[in-house]
Amino acid sequence: MNGRVLGLLLAGLLRAAPLAAQLPQFLGSVDLGLARQHFASSYPGGAESLTGALMYGQVGIALRPLAVDVSYAQGRLASSSASAAARSVAEASILVSGRVTPWLLLKAGPHLRAYSAPGSTERWVTWEAHAHADEEVIAGVLAASLEGWVAVIANANVDPGGSGARGAEAGVTMRIPGSALWARLAYAVDQASLKSGARTEALQSVLVSVGVGGR
Amino acid sequence: MRPTRLLVASAALALAVAGAARAQTPAAQVTHGIHAYQNLDYDSAAVLLRAALAAQGATALADSDRVHALVYLAATELYRDHRDTAAVLFGRLLRIDPRYHIDQLVFPPEVSGLFQQVRVITRAVAVVVPADTELGTGHDQLPIRLYAATFHPVDVAVVRQGGARLRAIYQGNVGDSLLVTWDGRATDGSPPDTGRYLLQVDSRASDGHVVRSVAIPLAITRVRRDTLPLPAPPAASLFRPEHRPGSNGVRGAVAGAAGVVAVLALPSLIAGKFRASTDRLLVAAGFGAAGVLGFRAQRGPQPILENIAANRTLRLGWQRQVDSVHAQNVARRQEVRLRIRAGAIQVLGAP
Repeated sequence: MNGRVLGLLLAGLLRAAPLAAQLPQFLGSVDLGLARQHFASSYPGGAESLTGALMYGQVGIALRPLAVDVSYAQGRLASSSASAAARSVAEASILVSGRVTPWLLLKAGPHLRAYSAPGSTERWVTWEAHAHADEEVIAGVLAASLEGWVAVIANANVDPGGSGARGAEAGVTMRIPGSALWARLAYAVDQASLKSGARTEALQSVLVSVGVGGR
Repeated sequence: MRPTRLLVASAALALAVAGAARAQTPAAQVTHGIHAYQNLDYDSAAVLLRAALAAQGATALADSDRVHALVYLAATELYRDHRDTAAVLFGRLLRIDPRYHIDQLVFPPEVSGLFQQVRVITRAVAVVVPADTELGTGHDQLPIRLYAATFHPVDVAVVRQGGARLRAIYQGNVGDSLLVTWDGRATDGSPPDTGRYLLQVDSRASDGHVVRSVAIPLAITRVRRDTLPLPAPPAASLFRPEHRPGSNGVRGAVAGAAGVVAVLALPSLIAGKFRASTDRLLVAAGFGAAGVLGFRAQRGPQPILENIAANRTLRLGWQRQVDSVHAQNVARRQEVRLRIRAGAIQVLGAP
């Protein structure tokens, strides 16, 4: 299953090269944002729920016909009750993308996430394949996007190891007409599971960001 | 009695020649004087040539004829045993034409020898500049050629009509000839105002005092270059349409509605076993607003972004041309070119 997804993604990225050559060269971008997150996990005999905020930053670099997005986020999650320990969360990703059709973008790359609590750190390393579709609602001003992804490889440093992960994101981007400035409002959700149903985690984020450059 | 007769006869001859000479034009007098010299009739030659050289006003000899008359008159005086007079005449000749070289096939060695002796001690220069020159702000130079009768120090300067020095150009020795240049600037580097100036060359003696000055009038005019016309704006036919007619707006509404549905459905699709965050309703509202705005916006004329970008490129290209021409015109307005018209050389002070 995962191998098939990877093959489709590579084929799509290879197809992106001639198409990108026909499109205007898009520039790099920089954006900063704030995310409110809800973390929830369940495991046999228990569950926990935390909320918190993250600072988020991303740099996009145009390397025609492809592009590279590097992102980093860091914040802290806390429980409103004493049932779960507060923890820091940090994540980073590097995604290579290529536009396959005028409305479809394929991305792939590693994604690292770590939850640090006193005495233990849970790390996830996933290699993800993303499909990103966008539609201009108002030409040059307002666009809507939907993105889904699956983890081709999911590794976790906690027993019995990572089983899989998937996620999705939906957002609207508003651009100041004739300007390189834009603002984005998005909702993202993902779920990661350990093998044998030992543990399942979900992270939901509402992200507000502002940026400059092509997107 | 004999000396008396001889004196009377000579006087009568001179008076007769002088009378005949007065009846001729200066040019004819030179021709007859040279003929008399060649016939060894030195007295008649002297009378005729002096008469020719004495002519003033409209009938005065041109410099080339004057030089021609002077060399024959000097040779005549030498053969009349008036060596000092001959030397003075050769000096006068060289001041008119410092470049003059005596023809040794025409004049015997004693004549050319005296001429060379006089030449060595005559400090005079001839100055040659182009009649009409235009100097730009770059490296243009006005060439000034000096031809000296003998090696001696000179001062070359451009002076104002009142005598104030505008620019010293050269101070030093000149041998046979020398080329100096002027960049058309005053001592402080600024271009001179429109007006009349003098290119003055002073010949100096060994002790430094000026023995001869010549000047060439320079009429200097500041010339402004014509400005370039601005390029015409691109023709209307070159611009692409920037809008297309609006649609029924359904697509925008559908995009917004799909976003709302996605945001509401994603938690159950991705992480169905967990409670969905209510924060996502903010994003759903954003999609809803986008759908409403998109519905309204898509019913009006729709911008064609690539055409707008192409038209902007076209306008920017034209604007760049306009800016370039404007900058060139500013430079042209600031650029000062000088037109320099040179007059005939004049001898100042002692001839």
